[in-house]
Amino acid sequence: MAREECKALLDALNRTTACYHHLVLTVGGSADSQNLREELQKTRQKAHELAVATGARLTGALRDKSLAAEERAEFERLWVAFSGCLDLLEADMQRALALGSAFPLNAPRRPLVRTGVAGAASAVAARALSARSLRHEAEHDFDVADLQELEREVLQVGEMIQDMEMKVNVPRWTVQARQAAGAELLSGASAGASSAGGMSVEERSGPCDPSKALAATLFSAVLLAAVALAVCVAKLS
Amino acid sequence: FRVSEDGEGRPRAGVRGRGQREALHLGALLVRHGYLYPLRDPRSLALRPDETPYRFQTPYFWASTVWPASELDYAIYLAKRSIQRRGALLDHEKEHYDQLQWKISHAWDLVVTQAREQLRAMKQRRRGDRLVITCQEQAYWLVNRPPPGVPNVLEQGPERGSCAASRLQTVSTARRGACHSPYLKFSSQRGPHDPILSGCLPSNPWVTDDDTYWAVNAPTAATPTRLRVERWGFSFQELLEDPVGRAHFMDFLEKEFSAENLSFWEACEQLRYGGQAQVPALVDAVYQQFLAPGAARWVNIDSRTMERTLAGLCRPHRYVLDDAQLHIYMLMKKDSYPRFLKSDMYKGLLTEATVPVETKRRVFPFMRKPRHCSPSPALPTAGPGGGGED
Repeated sequence: MAREECKALLDALNRTTACYHHLVLTVGGSADSQNLREELQKTRQKAHELAVATGARLTGALRDKSLAAEERAEFERLWVAFSGCLDLLEADMQRALALGSAFPLNAPRRPLVRTGVAGAASAVAARALSARSLRHEAEHDFDVADLQELEREVLQVGEMIQDMEMKVNVPRWTVQARQAAGAELLSGASAGASSAGGMSVEERSGPCDPSKALAATLFSAVLLAAVALAVCVAKLS
Repeated sequence: FRVSEDGEGRPRAGVRGRGQREALHLGALLVRHGYLYPLRDPRSLALRPDETPYRFQTPYFWASTVWPASELDYAIYLAKRSIQRRGALLDHEKEHYDQLQWKISHAWDLVVTQAREQLRAMKQRRRGDRLVITCQEQAYWLVNRPPPGVPNVLEQGPERGSCAASRLQTVSTARRGACHSPYLKFSSQRGPHDPILSGCLPSNPWVTDDDTYWAVNAPTAATPTRLRVERWGFSFQELLEDPVGRAHFMDFLEKEFSAENLSFWEACEQLRYGGQAQVPALVDAVYQQFLAPGAARWVNIDSRTMERTLAGLCRPHRYVLDDAQLHIYMLMKKDSYPRFLKSDMYKGLLTEATVPVETKRRVFPFMRKPRHCSPSPALPTAGPGGGGED
């Protein structure tokens, strides 16, 4: 089924773009390192592959004249999401290029900004590549060559967007998004329940969480019992 | 929320006097543009000369490196916040969010998916890093989309917004060119015919008080002006709207033995715009003259249109002949009109057409004939002897 395939590819592209965004955020900061640059490169290549595959499928499907109206509407929706995603990816790649050349890693004095982010981001990159862990094998000064390659790829993505605009004509204003207003709350809650995603600042409001409160009372009860026992033992002996 | 020791960028206020004031001013500017952000009260970007801790913004969000923030990014940020706070956004954020939902509704799927994915990617980071990144984003959007009452430091005058329109809204230029070309053609064609743009011959009657212009261009002038004949060539509609042009076209059709088409079209127009009382009589006359089998001036209409028209004739109304009229109109437009434009007759008309000579300006403009201004009825002095115009 072409539609399911496109949807799966688009989801993967969305995930990779989001991870790439997260990786670019820390370029030039205190967590910047050779490993981060390498992760950036791998994520970007993966995103590019996914984008090419998705673009080819979607263009093929939309150029098919014999498509039913419903199918077509579905594909147009996917197409709009895809082109928006490409825009995001292109913007992030351009920023990565600008930041990468502004903060060279191998300069004599490494002028990195102390932003307070310290941890490595290999888990983010691993999520983007859907791999368990990541091996870093690049040699010492690969980032100079990588910048040129990045520049080329930015141009390629730009050309791809242009090309798709010319090949397929989807009037964006006619497309109805499937998500209604406030939809992010409903499914955000369910996603949070299923995959524990979607909550990150909630930890601050932790004490109100009923399960945590239960755990705390249990723990303190056990502690009290232990103290009482210890006192008894001390008195008896 | 812990302040890590190494991340502090505390502005040193150790210098006294003017140096201190300048340092504070510089620091305040840096904070207001979002290069530093306060940790204690992250929602107010201001520099206080006390022991408040600050942090450096990540270079990704520096005002010097990024382009104007796009609507899509802001929508994603607000969606993330909405998910994190379970819908409890601040008032102005809520307002922006609703507006964005309306503005980029086609991309809303993407907004929600990206917001969710970015939050999931953030889960992979350490807890401290997560908080730092959340604060960085918040500080960035405080600078780029300031809450009401706070001046926008990135404001650069009115033209900035127009050139920074995001890609999302723009349509590709190639397609835009296609819809411009009719306008370009229209204006290049009509330019010489516009009295305001290129003046009018022989003279502007409203300025010179000379009404030859109206006489020359009267609806039934004997010899039309050259501009008028040229205009017949622009479109078929233009030719039919001009009585003189229509008469010449009729002559041409008579030579081609297809004058009944134009007569039929005229009869239909008459029916369409005539009085309600005459409608049945007119319909009957048109039927007898043009549509009935074996009629004197039978017009050639395809069978389907003819069937529909004849079915409508049982109950005649004003618009009953519209289909047939349109058919004949297109027939003339596609067939006779191009031939008319290529015929010797039209070429002859073009060469014979007059180009009125510009009237000579008076040498002494102040000697011109005094105007006949009508005496105002509000003036009681305008009696028989009171004509004081001269």
